[in-house]
Amino acid sequence: MTLAVINETELVIRAQNGERNAFNELIRIYAQGVMNVIYRMCGDAQIAEDAAQETFIQAWLHLSSYRLQTSLRSWLYRIAVNAATDILRKEKRILPNALEDLQLKDPQPGPEAILSQGERTALVQKAILSLPDISRAVLVLREYEEMSYHEIADALDIPIGTVMSRLNYARKLLKDKLEQKLFLQVEAENV
Amino acid sequence: MSKHITEWLSAYLDGELRGNQLHQVETHLVECHVCRAELGSLEKLSGLLHEVPAPEFTPPERFAAQVKLRLPHERTFISRTQMIEIGWLMIPVGLLGAWVFISTSFVLGNILATANNLGLLSSISGWLAFGPSSDIYLSATLGQAGILGGNGLNWAEATETFTRMSLPHISLQISIALLYLSWIAIWWTRHTHQQHGQLLEG
Repeated sequence: MTLAVINETELVIRAQNGERNAFNELIRIYAQGVMNVIYRMCGDAQIAEDAAQETFIQAWLHLSSYRLQTSLRSWLYRIAVNAATDILRKEKRILPNALEDLQLKDPQPGPEAILSQGERTALVQKAILSLPDISRAVLVLREYEEMSYHEIADALDIPIGTVMSRLNYARKLLKDKLEQKLFLQVEAENV
Repeated sequence: MSKHITEWLSAYLDGELRGNQLHQVETHLVECHVCRAELGSLEKLSGLLHEVPAPEFTPPERFAAQVKLRLPHERTFISRTQMIEIGWLMIPVGLLGAWVFISTSFVLGNILATANNLGLLSSISGWLAFGPSSDIYLSATLGQAGILGGNGLNWAEATETFTRMSLPHISLQISIALLYLSWIAIWWTRHTHQQHGQLLEG
């Protein structure tokens, strides 16, 4: 039997028993997701990788507290979100002064104000980073990791109702920030 | 027109609504252009969010190797699962130990009592505080009071001796045997369940 066909539970049990190769396999499975979550939270790829390493070290150290009945992905993402939040607290420089940055020179959209793809994604990225941490975490897990509300509730240890309200809030803030410039441009492109 | 349902649109877009709630939102969207426009905005927003690409991260294999190097080497912990498993396996060992201890105590007690009755331990009997009267004082009292006599007294003494000396020992052994049988029954149930699970997985 190869490692690929051994299911996740077996890998976790083996890792809980101190088997480093089994934990290594779990890292391979979840590395991309964890790095992605942290990157979406903090907006810096290098810092996201460092924080992802820290996430897996913490997971290794506390693996005995992980309960097999729960989702490992949710458990890892919880550690990842906490790691990202810690980093954001320590390194405030990562976050742009989003609200100011988002004000473009020309508030009236017109052909001259059409943004390049790069500018557009930068603007969206900044808008995401300007969200409060708790709302951004919910948005990231939903939009980029496509987790269900139930999984998000598990990962962040909050009720499903709170997931809904935070997601509503995050989307409303983003819409308010991006609507004027980008929505009209998207519409123009789709015509 | 009924009240706008903007607070439910996110959940609707995410496919999180079910049953009556889903039906209400769908019905409302048919007749309310404001909420339809709001839903359209949310869809556009989702599209914009997905335009932001993820950077090229270190490949998972290399990343895993990097993390492995940083994992603490001295970690020799026993997981909770392992602790429970070890504790579970120690139960029959503990029961066996208790049985050996009780049996040995009983046999040694009998040997010493017999030796004492034969006068072989006269020099230390005081220290050991042996004496038949301590075992059958109720029968002796009844005999002295004239309530029991002859065969009745003998039977009473024998019954009292058995009750005081052997019954606790037998009760303890039965308890240990019952606990051990229970452990075997649980172990067998778990074992069968695990085999069944493996067959299903297979």
